[in-house]
Amino acid sequence: MFQPASLKGDSPTPIDERVRNKYLILYLIIILLSFIPCSLFEYWYLITFWNESFYWLFFLLLPLNIFFLIYILQLSALLFSVLILNIINLIHRPREGFFKRDINDKDYLYWNLRNTIKKWPLYLAASNPFPWLKNRFMLRFFGVKIGSRCMCDNGWISSEFVSIGKNVIIGMGSTIISFGIEQDNFILKEIIVKENAAIGAKSVLLPGTIMKQNSKLSAHSYTNYDDVLEKDSIYMGHPAKLKKD
Amino acid sequence: MEAEKDSSIKVDYISTTGVFKTPFTLILLVQLFIGGLALVLANLWFFNVLYYLLTGSQFYSLEPPGDWYYWLLVPLNIYGNIFLFSFTVILVSAGIYKFLNWRHPPQEGVFERGSKEWKYMHRRYWTAYFPIWLARAIPLPWADIVCYRFFGVRIGKNVVAYEGYIDPEFVEIGDFTMTSLHICIFSHLIYHDKVIIKKVSIGKNCIIGPQTIISPGTVMEEGAILGANSYTWLGQRLSTYLIHVGTPVSMSFPIQTLDESREKVEKRKKTVVLDDENLDDKKKEGGGNE
Repeated sequence: MFQPASLKGDSPTPIDERVRNKYLILYLIIILLSFIPCSLFEYWYLITFWNESFYWLFFLLLPLNIFFLIYILQLSALLFSVLILNIINLIHRPREGFFKRDINDKDYLYWNLRNTIKKWPLYLAASNPFPWLKNRFMLRFFGVKIGSRCMCDNGWISSEFVSIGKNVIIGMGSTIISFGIEQDNFILKEIIVKENAAIGAKSVLLPGTIMKQNSKLSAHSYTNYDDVLEKDSIYMGHPAKLKKD
Repeated sequence: MEAEKDSSIKVDYISTTGVFKTPFTLILLVQLFIGGLALVLANLWFFNVLYYLLTGSQFYSLEPPGDWYYWLLVPLNIYGNIFLFSFTVILVSAGIYKFLNWRHPPQEGVFERGSKEWKYMHRRYWTAYFPIWLARAIPLPWADIVCYRFFGVRIGKNVVAYEGYIDPEFVEIGDFTMTSLHICIFSHLIYHDKVIIKKVSIGKNCIIGPQTIISPGTVMEEGAILGANSYTWLGQRLSTYLIHVGTPVSMSFPIQTLDESREKVEKRKKTVVLDDENLDDKKKEGGGNE
């Protein structure tokens, strides 16, 4: 909601520097391609409204022009990144498991590549001033399922191996990361959050966490790897433990 | 009477604040249009001059028409437009906010989901959303504090509050208070299917450490310090000139003067030196034995 620009909550997509330097061209190509529909739209706007009888309309519709420009940029970036992502997923399917943190490991390499491709559209969605078509809409195209009536624009949500049910509340600045880096190991595991669960502000879900129906995680706490939060119960602490009254 | 009821609220866990999307969210487009209109009205003359310099004809005849040096005003125009747009949006939405408050004055208490108070809370939040976003996007460090003041947050002078979430109502911050990176000041809390609204008041000379959460109903007295990585429970009271730490806050320590801390450091140094000497002796002894 009222976060400063440094905490806007874009999806965590870290990239290994060795991979980034190799595939920087791919990233730049997506940025360039995504600006083409924008320039076409601006060209159309200029041609239709810059007439002798329409000058006032040209200036009056400028706010709407900027509004559409932002969304056209975001959607075209999404389109091109999804296209390239599907091609890469055909070459190597993303799968969960334990891997080595080494660019010779194929899974780690392709995870970095996927992040390189996703970065631009997710960045755009997070820095958008308008509250529509944000996390819930964008992440759907990368395979994350988020249910309806979810509050999910204030936290950092990983862009793969996450599934979130209906009516879930995700707190301010909370983090849902489905990848973990432990020394030389690299872990990818699915996080499942079922219906009516609530995640407090600034809490962290580590890979493999399962939150069952109506489970609540208190603010400022984190779960361990492969934790299961039972239904209708409250968890809190570092790491989160069942709260008994 | 209601305030007395509020003080007896007990919760099992601290969740978060936030709002759902409602049809009222379209207020953002209204704010955008009003800001745009102000820009057009302010720039009519300047656009006319530029158009004359480019083509030789005018939208509407003005005397005297522009000269070449009007081009030098373009950077000033761009910067001025950014500030003009943001401040018109801030002022207009403050007006809308006042109107909403007049229609239904905000109250403290516990409210069900879907009640009138819930509805109006969402409306107030969505009116405050875009101006605060703008105030934090423009390159003026005091803009967001001014913006918060418009929306009923009482912020004193010389307050540091740039890098955190602050709810736009029922918050009071005294003079010379410092807040650090990534703090959350909540005056609303979503609890199961209810929303709890309670006033947060932070006194003068307070320091709020990084990564902390201040829950609704917290009272920080003058000079209280909240340590890093800790959070307060609902309705907690942090007493004056003490350092408070814990998740939730459970410990408090006195603040040391400079001389006291120096003395402590010197004492520690002496003990460390003594320990080191002892260690050396032991090593020598051990070596001799071997």
